Amino acid sequence: MSCSSNCSAPLIGHIALLAIISFGGVPGVLPDLHDFVVTARAWLTDREFADCFAIVQALPGPNMILMMSFIGWKVGGLPTAISCALVTFVPSCALAYTAFRFWNRFRDVAWQRRVQRGLAPVTIGLVIAGGFVMARTGDSGWLSLAVTGTAIGLMLITRINPLWLVCAGAVLGALGAV
Amino acid sequence: MEPVLCDEMRLRAITPRALFFAFLKVSLYGFGGPIVWARRVLIEERRWLSDSDFANILSFCQFLPGPNVVSMTVCIGAKFHGAAGALAALAGFILFPWTLGFAIGVVILSYAQTVLLQGILRGVAATAAGMIIATGIRLLRPHRRPLALIVTAIAFAGLAAARLPLLIVVVGLVPVSIAIAGRERAAAQ
Repeated sequence: MSCSSNCSAPLIGHIALLAIISFGGVPGVLPDLHDFVVTARAWLTDREFADCFAIVQALPGPNMILMMSFIGWKVGGLPTAISCALVTFVPSCALAYTAFRFWNRFRDVAWQRRVQRGLAPVTIGLVIAGGFVMARTGDSGWLSLAVTGTAIGLMLITRINPLWLVCAGAVLGALGAV
Repeated sequence: MEPVLCDEMRLRAITPRALFFAFLKVSLYGFGGPIVWARRVLIEERRWLSDSDFANILSFCQFLPGPNVVSMTVCIGAKFHGAAGALAALAGFILFPWTLGFAIGVVILSYAQTVLLQGILRGVAATAAGMIIATGIRLLRPHRRPLALIVTAIAFAGLAAARLPLLIVVVGLVPVSIAIAGRERAAAQ
């Protein structure tokens, strides 16, 4: 732990701010978080930040909340980890609930259908791009891309349980093949 | 049995308790991002939502700040059961999976430099990336209109190739896409 407990409050405050302005999703504000905790404050090394990101990509569960928790844990232990988790999702969930109740009230109105028809293609492009960016993180060679390509193919043409794919990926990685 | 009756029975089965367990599963199985399992569990297994319902809620949540899949959990919970549904789905998604993920992660972080572990992380991440891409391609199914596919391709290229900030891509492309959807509708009538 590279920091005493008086680092916790500014960290929690910064994460709370980033979470509530993270329109379009939390990954978009990760570069800013990196600048804050690694470059400006030196609470984490570059390597530690990258490790946190690699782990949450490989873990199930609410991965961006876990990312913030691991950074909180590195800076101030368990209480900071829990606080960082809470400020990441509580304000935005309250907002999502309120906004959805309002949006749902106009569910069958023509303009909303049109907006939804327009939004969906953009959204889907962003999901696919997210996977693509993830496939290219780090020094991924052609074997890593082949694993990604195989996973895409098996997901699309078979009804295989994706957990088997994850296991196969882990085994290939452990053998040093990826 | 009448299909309408089936629908009604299925909807009645979506209690806060069912929401809790569905989202617990989505979260625990969700390697590399829970969206893959959200689609699989909610659409294919439970048949609570259609592909287009799912894409609609996802795009709505992409406009909100915070973790998108967590906002989706709240919205889907609220859609079926109001505040109780939202809280049940959120609790299922976060409480146990966060505790488990945090405990495992803290242990892994201490061994993160190990070659074996780095290899496993890379392997799982490469697979998870493929699963996310495939989920996106599946979601595209109800939107196979030429202009919509072009919009998807531009959104993809803007983020993945040009590395533009997400907000720029969304703000720049959404008005165009909505205008196209409006024209397509007008042309169809």
